[in-house]
Amino acid sequence: MPDGGARSFLSGAQGRLDKHSQLIAALGGAALVALVAVTVVAVFWRYILNSPIFGIEDVSTMTLTVVVAAAVAYGAHKQAHVGVNIIGFAFSRRVTRITDLAARTLTFAIAAVAGYALLAKGSCGLPCGHITSNLAIPHPPFYFVLGAAMLSYAAVLLFQIAVGIANWTGEDPNEMRG
Amino acid sequence: MDGSALAALGFAALFVLLFIRVPVGAALLIVGAAGIHAIRPQASLPVLAGEIFAESSNYALTILPLFILMGNLAGISGMSRDLYAAAHSWLGHFRGGLASASIVGCAGFSALSGSSLAAALTMGRVSLPEMKRFSYADSLSTGAIAAGGTLGILIPPSAGFVIYAILTEVSIGRLFIAGVVPGILLTLMFVLTVWLVVARDPSKAPRSLQPEPLKVRFAMMLKATWIIAIVFVTIGGIYAGVFSAVEAAGIGAMLAFAACILRRGLTREGVAEAIGSTLKATGTAFFILFGAFVFKTFVGFTGVAFALTEWVESAGLTGTHVVLAVLVAFMILGTFLEGFAMLVLTIPLIQPVLESQGIDMVWFGVLIVIVLEMALISPPVGLNVFVVKGIATDVPINTIFRGIVPFWLAMLATLALVLLFPGLTLFLPNSMFG
Repeated sequence: MPDGGARSFLSGAQGRLDKHSQLIAALGGAALVALVAVTVVAVFWRYILNSPIFGIEDVSTMTLTVVVAAAVAYGAHKQAHVGVNIIGFAFSRRVTRITDLAARTLTFAIAAVAGYALLAKGSCGLPCGHITSNLAIPHPPFYFVLGAAMLSYAAVLLFQIAVGIANWTGEDPNEMRG
Repeated sequence: MDGSALAALGFAALFVLLFIRVPVGAALLIVGAAGIHAIRPQASLPVLAGEIFAESSNYALTILPLFILMGNLAGISGMSRDLYAAAHSWLGHFRGGLASASIVGCAGFSALSGSSLAAALTMGRVSLPEMKRFSYADSLSTGAIAAGGTLGILIPPSAGFVIYAILTEVSIGRLFIAGVVPGILLTLMFVLTVWLVVARDPSKAPRSLQPEPLKVRFAMMLKATWIIAIVFVTIGGIYAGVFSAVEAAGIGAMLAFAACILRRGLTREGVAEAIGSTLKATGTAFFILFGAFVFKTFVGFTGVAFALTEWVESAGLTGTHVVLAVLVAFMILGTFLEGFAMLVLTIPLIQPVLESQGIDMVWFGVLIVIVLEMALISPPVGLNVFVVKGIATDVPINTIFRGIVPFWLAMLATLALVLLFPGLTLFLPNSMFG
């Protein structure tokens, strides 16, 4: 069990992550509503008014990147990213606490590398031709949003690693069940 | 190290990572990025970023969050209860009628939601207490819900078809329409299974309802009009060529939202739940897709798919042999791997082989989705079983798995029919798209 100082630090971090997750849900929800609205408007103009809106697909796809970024980050906060739990049936917590630490460290590494790669590629911007094909919407902000989502996932994993170590001899609240 | 050896090492590493509970998407990203780095070091980071951005901004994938939202809004609006009540009033007086009504309810809900888990969860909450009230055997009631829920990924709109379509570059609309007849066929097979189970052992469904008057049945049907109308507009719209699949998803989500408002089902908590569930499901699917496409690029770089195609041709294997081998392999993998994981792991490897043998990828997609459904109820990791267990907490997991066996056999029979008669799958899309 974690001692008083560690418990207070982890509880503070948990509170900050929870607030962060609510913010992501709000952003994702707004983007989702926008995505529905853009799709319905496109259908209305195309089929009812018989006047397709030029480049509306560009708006849809860029809205989708925001939905996806929020969804990946929110999924990380809610532990929605699925894994396969065979080891949990075969081995005890004495083994899984070690494999979970390895799994989270590797996942943290790839999430951080992916976040960095997205930020680096996004930074290239217009010289790399990163714009949508019809409305020339610049891609960089959307690369950054996706990069931030991956880094948010990495932060959640870092927290889970800390919680796992703090609960090394007891039950890990983030352990995969079922 | 040559490409094939590197690919074999990659697959081995992938299984190790999955075994130690690395999330599926992360495992694919790790192996894919490391593999690309081993072949072309300068390409790994750009491919990683490029594929993540490409999938996040893939217009065809807009369909995923929109259809998931539609299903979640349908769940909070209470439409699923009306659907079950309608099925209940028409089928409840037959032997095992409540289990059959649950299956038909799942099929109807599946036409609004692309998720098997959502179908099992939503219908399970409504129908399990009712079956308990009428003293149905736990094995029959939980087995019917777990199996009925799997219809979610066969009856369009289906998340399984969307992922398969994106991986294979097959038309999503064509796949959706191809899933209609097998979806109805499997629903009928499940209903037949309930009838056979109860005929063999009447104690599994000892009591039935009194038949409802026709007036009441039609009144119940009328109450379920919303759900029928949304299905008619979305799936009918795709079939008639009025909408693309993406547009149908947007319209469907808007209609489900309107239904929530008009039925006074829209609460702050309900909206938060629908949006939260949509984000979680969307995040899960996209994170796996990120990994799938990075992994697919790695597999492409190794050239192993080409080597496999040459080997299949030199061994004199026909397309039928390959399809049968893949289906059997999926059934085995399905006992311990998550369905989408199986799909994204294997499709990059087998697609070139199948195409070189002239296999219709739409027909194959339907076969694969039926096998994925079987995986959803196969022990020990069948996800639908755990969803049902979450609702029926007092029923032992072994009882649920025992109840599933007849439904699993019904799926096998449906798989055989679709395998032997490709027209069941291809007639509708061919009549529509040519």
